[in-house]
Amino acid sequence: MDKSLNVMVIYILSHLGLIFFMYPGNIIDSTEQGHWLPILIGVIVHFVFITIYMKGLELFPKKDVISIYSSIGKGTAVFFLIPVLLYFIMIILITVRAYAEIITIVFLSNTPLWAIILLILFISTYIAANGIEPIFRTGFLLAILFLPLIVMIFFTSFQNVDWHYFVPFDTDFKFMSSPSYYESFFAFSGGFLFLGFIQPYFSYKRKKVLIAAAILIPIFLFSVYIPILTFGQATAATTFLPYVVVVDTININWLMFDRVTMFFLLSLISFIMLYLALVIWKTVRIINHYIPSIHSSYCMILLSLAIFITCHFISDWKEVEKLFLWNTLLRFYVLFAIPLSIYYFGRRAKRKENNANT
Amino acid sequence: MDSFIQEIRGLFGKNEDFFLLQDYVSDAPVVLLGFKTLLDLTKTKSVLYKNIESMLSAGKSSEEILFNIGEVKEKDIKMATSTLLEGKLIILIENSKKYIVFEPVPKSLNRSVQSPENENVLQGALNSFTEDIDTNIGIMRKQLITTDLFVQSFTTGKNQKRKISLLYLESQADKDLVRKIVNRIETNLDMDINNMQGLTTLMGFSSWEAISKFHTTELPFQAVHLLNKERVVLFVDQLPFAFILPNFFWDLFAMENDRNFPKPIMIAIRAVRVIGILITLISPGLYVALVAVNPEVLQIELALSIARSREGVPYPALVEIILMLLILELILEASVRLPKSIGPTITMVGGIILGQAAVEAKLVSNLLIIILAATTIANSTVVSFQNSVSIRVFKYVVVLLSAIFGILGLVAGLVLVCAYFASLNTFGFSYLYVNLKKDEMNG
Repeated sequence: MDKSLNVMVIYILSHLGLIFFMYPGNIIDSTEQGHWLPILIGVIVHFVFITIYMKGLELFPKKDVISIYSSIGKGTAVFFLIPVLLYFIMIILITVRAYAEIITIVFLSNTPLWAIILLILFISTYIAANGIEPIFRTGFLLAILFLPLIVMIFFTSFQNVDWHYFVPFDTDFKFMSSPSYYESFFAFSGGFLFLGFIQPYFSYKRKKVLIAAAILIPIFLFSVYIPILTFGQATAATTFLPYVVVVDTININWLMFDRVTMFFLLSLISFIMLYLALVIWKTVRIINHYIPSIHSSYCMILLSLAIFITCHFISDWKEVEKLFLWNTLLRFYVLFAIPLSIYYFGRRAKRKENNANT
Repeated sequence: MDSFIQEIRGLFGKNEDFFLLQDYVSDAPVVLLGFKTLLDLTKTKSVLYKNIESMLSAGKSSEEILFNIGEVKEKDIKMATSTLLEGKLIILIENSKKYIVFEPVPKSLNRSVQSPENENVLQGALNSFTEDIDTNIGIMRKQLITTDLFVQSFTTGKNQKRKISLLYLESQADKDLVRKIVNRIETNLDMDINNMQGLTTLMGFSSWEAISKFHTTELPFQAVHLLNKERVVLFVDQLPFAFILPNFFWDLFAMENDRNFPKPIMIAIRAVRVIGILITLISPGLYVALVAVNPEVLQIELALSIARSREGVPYPALVEIILMLLILELILEASVRLPKSIGPTITMVGGIILGQAAVEAKLVSNLLIIILAATTIANSTVVSFQNSVSIRVFKYVVVLLSAIFGILGLVAGLVLVCAYFASLNTFGFSYLYVNLKKDEMNG
């Protein structure tokens, strides 16, 4: 059955959760003017690689990434899957820790960090333990509940915009040397891999996923530009989470709530929980491929426990950022190597098949 | 007298309502067996004699008459006892290996078809299911005049027999679903089914799900509608409602009777129910979160007025709300328990406690009473009482999480509830499955 709509929803939700927090700050830090160029390059890279990835996957109908690699050879599987596994574990760790920190900073200053981490991990693990189909269905419900709120707040965040800040328009490639620019790829590389894991359960059309990615383009653009248009580059660069600060400035008279940020952030955090559930599920898929004897639910619980304990060794935000930076190498490996290799193996398999036929 | 009669007498002889009568069919001596409480003896006898007379006048022999007035069975003590318990009259031919089961005039032990007790209908068909399974199937047949309707019946139970019937539309119902259900029933025919939990175990579902796997309804109109929507209906004898499988999320909001209104009105009514569920789940949690953890979210005037209304309340918001929710649950439970004539007393006393006294004694805040009232009213908008009880339980999860994590807890609670809904599955149908074939939609 064609489940493109489900895939689209999950694709959009998981990216929304990733975009609005760190991405604007990273881009604003990376250059002083003409932010459209770094965003554009990111978006183009994103599009090119998901297209390659999906084209490659189409050459292996009804197979997921794990079975594709292991059908080619044990060495290949280890060479590609182990970095992916590491990357997944790293992003679970970083995401949980970073978002727990953000929650403490923005609105739960009295609650201990471990309690927040525990809550996030518990809910993500619960969703993940239900299996992949419930993850997608949960996504659908969450989209119905929270997406209208996000869209509404997104539009109201234009409230204090001064369009003059759009200039200067010209730009250069200096941002290429800035490490924070490479960190910004977290928003692109984090979410797309699931397309290769869901194959036997969900089938989807490539065009639909590309439409979902296209819907995200204005979000990428405005998540950076709204803080700049509101505060100006110089001020925006000093804020920690620029978009969140913008949402904090929104004032809607007729609403009984003063801090709309809270609802915006929390909706996004519900998406992040879903995203984490998806990543935990993928991680356990890989682990289960190598150690099939453990039941996947126990494996998830063990993984979450390990993450929970490891989170305590990260004492402050500086270390989170350091981890974020270390992760860059893996991030690019995953972003480039996985799609290209899948595509390459797909073509090779196709060629062999053709040769055998003639 | 033969051993068969001795055996039956040994089983039932101590019962005052069991009778054993000598009689004659034309000239053959017979023994009539049955329960006075289950069949109307005088009427049954007169029907029996009339039958015999008419056959005698047609010139039949007594042997022929005997084999024509009822079902002829071999003597088997097990079969005979269950036939007797079903309220049939047994005619025992002396010195023969056979007996005859005669369809008697039953004592009327069932109430007539009445208007529904647990579900109210506005501008719609008013009849409802009763305890008698045959009446229920009859009502369904009357509403669905088609050759498409199939009725399959099973007798379950080892010690306590009970009839279960499965109804489905051949062209609509999912073949796989019907096959799985029949399979389940047939493998578990030995189980005693007395209630929904029994049926749940019979079907092999986990008995720890907070949401019932069956959608129950008293309304034939609703059951017929759901049969048309690929579902199947189960009836259990002596339970006055239809169990509809599978149960879907959308059933919380949609009732067939809504379609007796113009379409825009129908959409509005259903929207009200959706809002009802959201308010039930969110408002108590939101109150706790805003009062106890995140008051800064509110505009300052509102925050101040809330603080003022809570002035003098001696305990934290969580205790306050749990206390009041508990009282509310007690009132709900008590009003179910009490006879109808004393019931209003509870309403009155409860109203005084909730409305005035508790606030004036500074035990709870004004605002909480409003929240509580809103929650209870909103909770009742959900279709079917079963569902509204489930939603009532989820509310507490949200309240507890909100008390610890504030608004984060509220959102986390909602995510948890959503994930729980998403994880439910009945015979391969997800709880969130929506039949988009017709004009309904949304998920």
